[in-house]
Amino acid sequence: MREPPHTAAMDDHGHYLEPDQLLAERSRPLPRMALSSRARAGLWALRVFSVLLSAMVVYVFVVQLGR
Amino acid sequence: MPAGATADGRSIALPPSLSPEDIARSQDRFRVYNARRRGSRWLVLWLLVGPGILAMLGENDGPSMISYAATGAAYGIGFFVPFIVITFAMAFVCQEMCMRVGAVTHRGYGQLVLERFGRLWGWFAAGDLILTNLVTLVAEFVAIRVGLAYFHIGAAVAALLGVLLVVLTLSGGRYWRWERIVLALAIFNALFLAAAILTGPSWGSLGRSLVTFSPLPGGGLNTLLLLVASTIGATVTPWMIFFQQSASADKGLTPTDLRQGRCDTIAGAVGATIFGIGALVAGAALFAHGGSQIDGLAGAGFPGALARVSGRLVATLFALGLIEAGAVAVLTISASTGYAVGECIGAPHSLNGSARGAVAFFGANAGAALVAGATILIPGVPLLAIALNANVLATVLLPVALVFMIVLASDRELMGQWSNSAVRNRVAISIVAFISICGAAYAIDSFLQIVHVV
Repeated sequence: MREPPHTAAMDDHGHYLEPDQLLAERSRPLPRMALSSRARAGLWALRVFSVLLSAMVVYVFVVQLGR
Repeated sequence: MPAGATADGRSIALPPSLSPEDIARSQDRFRVYNARRRGSRWLVLWLLVGPGILAMLGENDGPSMISYAATGAAYGIGFFVPFIVITFAMAFVCQEMCMRVGAVTHRGYGQLVLERFGRLWGWFAAGDLILTNLVTLVAEFVAIRVGLAYFHIGAAVAALLGVLLVVLTLSGGRYWRWERIVLALAIFNALFLAAAILTGPSWGSLGRSLVTFSPLPGGGLNTLLLLVASTIGATVTPWMIFFQQSASADKGLTPTDLRQGRCDTIAGAVGATIFGIGALVAGAALFAHGGSQIDGLAGAGFPGALARVSGRLVATLFALGLIEAGAVAVLTISASTGYAVGECIGAPHSLNGSARGAVAFFGANAGAALVAGATILIPGVPLLAIALNANVLATVLLPVALVFMIVLASDRELMGQWSNSAVRNRVAISIVAFISICGAAYAIDSFLQIVHVV
């Protein structure tokens, strides 16, 4: 991939950032992604699964500490 | 218009919309632009490497090296040597996505999850990260403490050194400066390789194990599952995802830099694999002695045990390596905490900013280190158990973070031509499934044993 050509904007503005690299642009929120109900259910299932496993790991760790 | 200056000192007029953070990043981009224009490929690479090496070597952290050494001491040279190679190959797939998403969107992981999936998911992601980071940071301070203890230096000095290091590196005021300091420190991860070579390992056994995945580990299933989950957690973790994406954006990477970003990530993965195997091989020197001499510092006293088996030089190198591994990880993990907090509350979050302008970012960065440093001062803390369980906790929370990363990297609206291909998605989903199964196997088996069901 090649460096984009030198533009007049670079000289005029004295900066070498892409427009969407500027802080003002990066702070502009992006639109929400449209998730299907199946995708949402999948994310929640994964979330519950990871919380349950974390709880098990923490519980085992705490019990082992007490021994 | 306010006055500013380019990296070569030229005085220029700046549009009012440019923040000090933009100016600092623009100066870094100016050097990349000039190097490319002159055709200096190596200089371009030098200017653009950083986030990938730091994420990978940062993950060769204290608990990871202790975990590798514990694996070597428990099972010798065998199955876990090629397993480390596989886990770092998985880490490359995950981290390449982080780099690519950061370079294309110029936004951190936390910010993207928050904006694309909503506040609830953003806060879940940040909450997971802060929890695992705090536990992992404690383990990093444990590693520094274990290393310093070999030189008869106490826990208070370990805590103070770690916190001071974070504060001093943050005071540089520039991402570039911070990154180069941490990179210079990270080179000393190679001490584990030196220690391994000095133990005089059997190169034939090492080569055979890499090809044949043998000998397979024996012993109890639960210990084996703990070490498998812990080894995975020693190579791919939630903080790496946050860190590399946010650091790539903070550094100012663009889609033009993807090739260099991949080289950076590969270099980090290769280095981390070699040094990680080095820690395992050094630990394997204790295998013939049943690993029973690792009795100091609540089971994490590897340097002392190595001194008795392989000599003082190996032990010294291993102890210095642990201090380095802990120190680099304290810096990178604290930074990832700062990025996550800043991105999720919508506050400024850049190492190119000032502490006064980004209180939440710098406060979370130093605060996380402070809390973790204070924890190791508690007497009788089980150091080896914390180190191994920090990795396991990271493993069980990782699949959620990875799924969001895959969705973001496949989002054509966001990534355009740089979105994941179908093949990449299949590979990434297989990795998530593998990590989920390994984490679940240990968590469920341990839990059932504790409640006396099995």
